[in-house]
Amino acid sequence: MATPVIMPRQGQSVESCIIAKWHKNKGDSVREGELLFSYETDKASFDEEAKASGVLLDVFFQEGDDVPCLTNVCVIGNPGESTAEFNPNAGAEAVAKPVEEKPAAVEAHAQEKSEEAFPVTAVEGDRIKISPRARNLAEKLSLDYRYAAASGPNGRIVEKDIITLKESGPVPTPAAKGEFAGQTMTGTGIGGRITTGDLNTVKVSDAAAMQPAQEAGPMFEEVKLTNIRKVIAKAMHHSISSTCQLTLNSSFDATDIMEFRKKLKDSKDRLGLENITLNDIILYAVSRTLMNHKDLNAHFLDDRMLYFRNVNLGVAVDTERGLMVPTVFNANHKSLNDIAREVKKLVKDCQSGNINPDLLKGGSFTVTNLGTLDIESFTPVLNPPQTAILGVNTIVQRAREVDGEIEFYPAMGLSLTFDHRALDGAPAARFLQELKHNLENFSVMLVK
Amino acid sequence: MPKSQYICPNEIRKSGWIKFTDIPVNQYSKTIEEEKANFSTEDFLRIYRDMTVIREFETMLNLIKTTNEYNGIQYNHPGPAHLSIGQEASVVGQAYILDKDDYIFGSHRSHGEILAKGLSAIEKLDDKELLEIMEKFFDGAILRVVEGKQKNKNDVKELAIDFLVYGTLAEIFARETGFHKGLGGSMHAFFTPFGIYPNNAIVGGSGDISVGAALYKKINKKKGIVIANIGDASMGCGPVWEGLCMATMDQYKQLWEGEYQGGLPYILNFFNNQYGMGGQTRGETMGYDMLARVGAGVNPEQMHAERIDGYNPLAVIDAMKRKKKILEEKRGPVLLDTITYRFTGHSPSDASSYRTKEEIEAWMEHDSLLTYRRELTKAGIAKDDKFEEILEATKELIAKVCKLAVDDNVSPRMNLVKNPNQIADLMFSNGRIEKMEDRECEVLMSKEENPRVQQISKKIRTGIQDGKPVPKNKVYQFRDAVFEALLDKFYTDPTLIAYGEENRDWGGAFAVYRGLTEALPYHRLFNSPISEGAIVGSAVGYGLCGGRVVVELMYCDFLGRAGDEIFNQLSKWQAMSAGVLKMPVVLRVSVGSKYGAQHSQDWTSLCAHIPGLKVVFPATPYDAKGLMNSALIGTDPVIFFESQRLYDIGEMFHLEGVPEGYYEVPIGEPDIKKQGKDLTILTVGATLYRALDAAKILEEKYGVSVEVIDARTIVPFNYDKVIQSVKKTGKILLSSDACERGSHLKDMAQTISEVAFDYLDAPPVVVGAKNWITPAYELEEYFFPQPDWIIDAVHEKIMPLKGHAAKNNFTVNEQLRINRLGV
Repeated sequence: MATPVIMPRQGQSVESCIIAKWHKNKGDSVREGELLFSYETDKASFDEEAKASGVLLDVFFQEGDDVPCLTNVCVIGNPGESTAEFNPNAGAEAVAKPVEEKPAAVEAHAQEKSEEAFPVTAVEGDRIKISPRARNLAEKLSLDYRYAAASGPNGRIVEKDIITLKESGPVPTPAAKGEFAGQTMTGTGIGGRITTGDLNTVKVSDAAAMQPAQEAGPMFEEVKLTNIRKVIAKAMHHSISSTCQLTLNSSFDATDIMEFRKKLKDSKDRLGLENITLNDIILYAVSRTLMNHKDLNAHFLDDRMLYFRNVNLGVAVDTERGLMVPTVFNANHKSLNDIAREVKKLVKDCQSGNINPDLLKGGSFTVTNLGTLDIESFTPVLNPPQTAILGVNTIVQRAREVDGEIEFYPAMGLSLTFDHRALDGAPAARFLQELKHNLENFSVMLVK
Repeated sequence: MPKSQYICPNEIRKSGWIKFTDIPVNQYSKTIEEEKANFSTEDFLRIYRDMTVIREFETMLNLIKTTNEYNGIQYNHPGPAHLSIGQEASVVGQAYILDKDDYIFGSHRSHGEILAKGLSAIEKLDDKELLEIMEKFFDGAILRVVEGKQKNKNDVKELAIDFLVYGTLAEIFARETGFHKGLGGSMHAFFTPFGIYPNNAIVGGSGDISVGAALYKKINKKKGIVIANIGDASMGCGPVWEGLCMATMDQYKQLWEGEYQGGLPYILNFFNNQYGMGGQTRGETMGYDMLARVGAGVNPEQMHAERIDGYNPLAVIDAMKRKKKILEEKRGPVLLDTITYRFTGHSPSDASSYRTKEEIEAWMEHDSLLTYRRELTKAGIAKDDKFEEILEATKELIAKVCKLAVDDNVSPRMNLVKNPNQIADLMFSNGRIEKMEDRECEVLMSKEENPRVQQISKKIRTGIQDGKPVPKNKVYQFRDAVFEALLDKFYTDPTLIAYGEENRDWGGAFAVYRGLTEALPYHRLFNSPISEGAIVGSAVGYGLCGGRVVVELMYCDFLGRAGDEIFNQLSKWQAMSAGVLKMPVVLRVSVGSKYGAQHSQDWTSLCAHIPGLKVVFPATPYDAKGLMNSALIGTDPVIFFESQRLYDIGEMFHLEGVPEGYYEVPIGEPDIKKQGKDLTILTVGATLYRALDAAKILEEKYGVSVEVIDARTIVPFNYDKVIQSVKKTGKILLSSDACERGSHLKDMAQTISEVAFDYLDAPPVVVGAKNWITPAYELEEYFFPQPDWIIDAVHEKIMPLKGHAAKNNFTVNEQLRINRLGV
């Protein structure tokens, strides 16, 4: 006789578990005691062993599916035995089984009136069904759409569900629904759903108002990585694990560039150049200086180097979504004003998410600036296959002796990370030295 | 149908006999000696020269195709080359008396016709005219290649011959310096300034197009005659027969009036080379024994049919002189069966497995280049060295031209990397020409006197007055709108003509043309035979000659009958001519209902699929008049769909009424017929009104605010308004009466998905007609989209409607099921 296998309940607070791995496939023969599947709660993983021998006749859930406890997961029995009676999805499947080619009008479809069926979150395997418009709106409103109740066809989350989510908050799981009395609360279940555990919390907090509610829940908030975060993570790890990078630190007297900038600001009515920043000035100086140091304006490709004829300057931009590095192509041919304007546009596009993806490639050297955040020195991470990256630091007052007198001057820090596989320390240091010289004599450099 | 023609039972039932007269077969028998009166020595020799030019030209092509080399010039030509080696005397004989005002249309095997006609035109044109033609054509681009390369720098005729041969060859080799920038190629090369009109790769394709050209000559009183040169096997093509019927209609002689009375200036000439590819027309694939016999079955004049010897250039010239005279006396048209034979295969890949070596060799002994030369020598016209001299010069000419044509530097191809839109820009001419010619329009009365105009003036020009619908008998209807636009153009453009089935007297099956019969003389509005192929094909010919024409298919379902004419001819000649030809042709297509499976189909999608056609489908009187005006001022072919459901509908949207004066609705712009914010419905054609009914229910019953957009045009189509609407509503349903599978709506839905993906709250959903035959009227509601279909589809696929119980199955499973079954 066919025997169903249920999802065990591991402790009173667990309502559902996720199937992590199937060790047997539908149709495999199974002996008592053999591993059937592994599953997880939010706290631990467990293995389920077969309690009967036979053939794994049917499997009702796939890896990644969130299965309510005590629900039938699969069936073991003799070949040919029916499993339909055990199928927990049977109700929903009826429509999805068009076995007979019946004429349209009479089909079972004869639509029960769609009275306010309780909205079910649209999970299919590990995919959530949501319309592009709804997803975009959720992102715009910073809402986690997994909390939304789906009211669209076939359990699709649509725009209005996100609006409901925004206005009314998250939606409870079916199990919690009975007890849910409209209180607002933070869901702690898988996918952020409100669980009966959360309901207990409310009850407890009602009873003992002094006790903070969150004690009953986990001590952290779990948030899935955004794609851009994943990309950054991968790139950073790749950089560190695949290159031999080290950082040289230096600083320069920023008096000249600060004065220069002041002049631009003072004469804004006349020149209209007041928007040029210190960073733009540094980018300009880098673009000119690099032309004398081809090892640093290059890509290292294991068995060969690509020396760039022009400077394609990557500019690190901090955005809400994470770090982005757009490129100012041929920066060595562009004027200071051109560079300033272009960088402004690139930053704006990155921040608004409109950046042309082609502009996120092709850099030959990168400049990153943490100076505005008061960083005095740091280790920029290379952007391989580029051979170097320049970190720009904040300005600190530093003392020096001039003709026996101690005087203070504004010192701006420069942190150059380079790939020792591509070049040695001395050439990197020479670049930094020339850059320092150029920045300290910026007005002269501009004339060149 | 004209009342003036009484069909007398006594006459019709009388007994008697149909008498035929004898059809001459190769009756020419003059000697060179006798012909000396008609030809000078130069004439005799020029005929020989023209034949050698064609022979050498095609020999060169044959060598290039089969050996990749000609006289040391290496070249690979992957494209077609259907050669006519052996047929030279027939084409040179025909062209001999023709000048640039005589138009020839040809086939896939027409290199010889192009060269012969071109050489003849060059002979007759003076230097000034020749230079002007060469300078004007593509701003002298072809002339630039050949000029300065002549032995005698002052010999304009020599230059013109180089120009002709080079332009033709460059076209064959797909060079931008070809007569049509390489877009026509071997089978479609032509050159209108010399009276060489499109050659056609569809067998018999010229059979009906050329009739339209003859109509153009006759109706617009142009000089010259028109000749269709097609092959013997094309007698088996329907459109050739249809063209024949249209060319011989009794009405030219019996009903057309004044100087327009009389037969068409038209010769249907068959270059009868005995084979249709490999099928032998005599003895195997046809039953006429001799093709000229067919003329006897067409009209009492037997089309003045004659079989002539195309292996003797002088016999052909003799026949042409006699036949041209018949045409000038308005006793045409004429059918000629010009016998000839090709030594080469159908194409260079043809192994001639269907004929014997002996047969080919026997014909080679009759080779006109040898026999004609022998006769001339015998008659003392010239000595051998003269002929050798001509041959030598011809070889030099062909080698010179070939060298230029294969040189990528002087003869480049279109650069679609540099100019990616070069072909796209030629698909439509997008012209605006109010009248194709500036002269008086021939009409029979003033517009004001017209009974239909007077009747319309009493109508109410809006469909809703004081909030109530205007009764049918008082309202200005859709048919009135189409009529007004057409009438207006008949009084503006003197070249405009209209014809089709039941267009005159009856006023069209749907009363659109009522009132035009009174306004127009016969030659501007007439009934055609039931020949949909020839109706459209002749319109193509009329249009490409420079006339404006409106033709009609009574039911959309008959479009299949005119398939080649619409899909291969009407749509393609503007681009294949690289913009040399315009196609100011409006094809009115009436979409039926109530009449079952073969009279109720919406085939807009078929037309939309074919590049080169503009496809419109107005659904309101305002749009119908405005779009018809736009179609009539343009220079592109427009397939103008009209729904028979709507001919009596009033204007429900422009409540200030349909303007009496001229206005245009731009082709390609959809129109928002109703504003809304939750859901967009885009419709094509008459489905608009059912969509509006659905919108009303959705709003009143379910609180869904619906925006309804009428596509109005299908090709071209500006998506802006639709995308804007979808950005607002996030949801769109598309509906039309076309069968859903392959409906153009699917294409639109796909485009919307791509363009507005991030704004979509549901997939675009198409609701079309079933993929069945159209059933009887009483069952149509189960076939064509209905308001409740639209609502059910919205409920099932776009947004579940609270409390709604669907009656129709729009589930995904049903969709998959019917696809699985192909229904």
